[in-house]
Amino acid sequence: MISAVTESAFAERRQLDWNRLDELSRRAAAGGIRALDAEQVVDLAPLYRDACADLARARAARYSAPLVEYLQALTASAHAIVYGSYARTDRARGRRGTRLRRAVEAFPRAVRKRWKPITLAAVLFFGPFLFGMIESMRHPEFALRLVPASMLDPLTEAYAKGFNDGRAVGESTQMAGFYVNNNVGIALRCFAMGIFAGVGSAFFLVDNGLSIGAILGYVASQGAGDNILTFVVGHSSLELGAIVLSGGAGMSLGWSVVAPGDRTRLASLQNAAREVVVIMFGAAVMLLMAAGIEAYWSSSSLSATVKRSIGAVMFVLVMLYMVLVGRGQKGDGGLVEGREKPDADDQAAAAGRRWT
Amino acid sequence: MDDPLDTDVTIEAPEHIVFRHVVAGPGRRALAHVLDLFVCYTIVVIVSALTILAFLGMSGFAGAFESAVEAGAGVILVVLFAAQWLYSFLWEGITGRSPGKMALDLRVVMVSGRPIGFAASALRNVLRAADVMPVGYLVGVTAMAMNRRFQRLGDLVAGTMVIVAGRASKTAPLVLWPPAAPVELAVLPDVVPLDVEERVAIELFLRRRAALGPAREQELANILMAPLQERFGFRLPNASRTLALLYDRAVNVGRSEGPPSSRAEHGVARRWLPARAPYERRP
Repeated sequence: MISAVTESAFAERRQLDWNRLDELSRRAAAGGIRALDAEQVVDLAPLYRDACADLARARAARYSAPLVEYLQALTASAHAIVYGSYARTDRARGRRGTRLRRAVEAFPRAVRKRWKPITLAAVLFFGPFLFGMIESMRHPEFALRLVPASMLDPLTEAYAKGFNDGRAVGESTQMAGFYVNNNVGIALRCFAMGIFAGVGSAFFLVDNGLSIGAILGYVASQGAGDNILTFVVGHSSLELGAIVLSGGAGMSLGWSVVAPGDRTRLASLQNAAREVVVIMFGAAVMLLMAAGIEAYWSSSSLSATVKRSIGAVMFVLVMLYMVLVGRGQKGDGGLVEGREKPDADDQAAAAGRRWT
Repeated sequence: MDDPLDTDVTIEAPEHIVFRHVVAGPGRRALAHVLDLFVCYTIVVIVSALTILAFLGMSGFAGAFESAVEAGAGVILVVLFAAQWLYSFLWEGITGRSPGKMALDLRVVMVSGRPIGFAASALRNVLRAADVMPVGYLVGVTAMAMNRRFQRLGDLVAGTMVIVAGRASKTAPLVLWPPAAPVELAVLPDVVPLDVEERVAIELFLRRRAALGPAREQELANILMAPLQERFGFRLPNASRTLALLYDRAVNVGRSEGPPSSRAEHGVARRWLPARAPYERRP
């Protein structure tokens, strides 16, 4: 139905409201919704709804393309302000605790839900790890084939010396930076490569397991086994655990594409990604903690007994955390934002299945 | 709704308003990425230089030169890590756009048009490691070529897309100038039914014609006029002027407050033919 109002008359009447909405949404886009005062927030929703109605009216009345484009851009930018990425109604949905507490509980829950790929990741990592360690303890030249001697020799030397002198603060800080950059980077890459049907993650796990095992075995074969064990025991439960977790999360990602079940491959992938992103964050935090321990604690001059007992306690704590924390609450506790309605392709596919 | 030929994505809001977002192509995104790399690593160089100076200054007092250099190297490694893994993640998680994207007017949104959060930002930026494989974003560009939202793997996993967030500026509606002369009104049809595509085509032409040379203007006008002339059996010697008259009547007829040219002889359109329905498919 054609409107009785000309375009210029329509635009002239509504212009003030549009300008105000434009100003409010610009301000909120720059500084967040907190940049608006209470009165402006109250104004925003009706202004947005009116602009939506104006857009519909302009389309129905077949006003000129620039006006429709303008209204469309105006409503689209206001839409991004009025609708956030997730509902901020945690309390209304009965979620408990602070954001930190939900995060702490969501991580082990996500890990337990994906225990199968994570177990597979553990096998893929610790299998080659043991093989590499035993082989290079029996034949040290095996390690030389995997890891260049230029890297092995200084390591052997360092561990043979022991840590009775401790390490200078400067060197510890340098190593902390190295561990953060190198280890967290490896874990994130190991996760990302899982997208290729899980093969990338599996490769990372086997490769790292074999090299780390070979280095341990080689250093032990050179007679510094006690020292290196004392060194790694403090942080290894966090560090190796995190590598296994990120590999398992990556393989879940790949597996969701290979075997999507009832969903389309894309929907299955996105669903898996939302669940395992929690594991990825958790693994990154574990590695940051491990980097701190490795740089400042493992290299300190404390006695081997203290380090080993603390290492054992860490191992038990990590296992208990993964097995026990966050039981009795389902899902991710609303931690992951941007939960979307099913993809349109997915709905179409579901509809297709229903009728055929 | 028909899938547009353009790189547009349509989204329906809860208000039953359909938005169109223009999806950004690989070229524009690559440019934004190069800018980001430049900004990011410039910051890294500056922070590293300051770190080195600071630690050298400290070592001057404490006399522990080697130790200070090592600590500085540790800090620089952490900064490098942040540049690689945190820069895009934090910018996009907080504002939806990195500085490079701001410069090129790009924005990352969920495929539903909503802003992205930290989870989606983390996924799309960690999966970058897979998209750059094996060299120069080959995987990412291949993935982008295979879906209509130009999503690389990271976008597919996170359910995000990159749109051009340019804001259309408001343009005044077209006004017939000079106003229709009585001679012209006498021969103009009472009702000019144009469908949306015809109207938009004429409008684009009328908005552009000031920038065209007179010969080119008439040439284009003749092309546009050809099918219309057949339908209305109406044409003045000047094809461009004819289009302006037809457009003016088509958009203003039946509206009050319209210019005189929009009114048929007795103030009311004598025969009213509905325009071809916009949703009707062309043969």
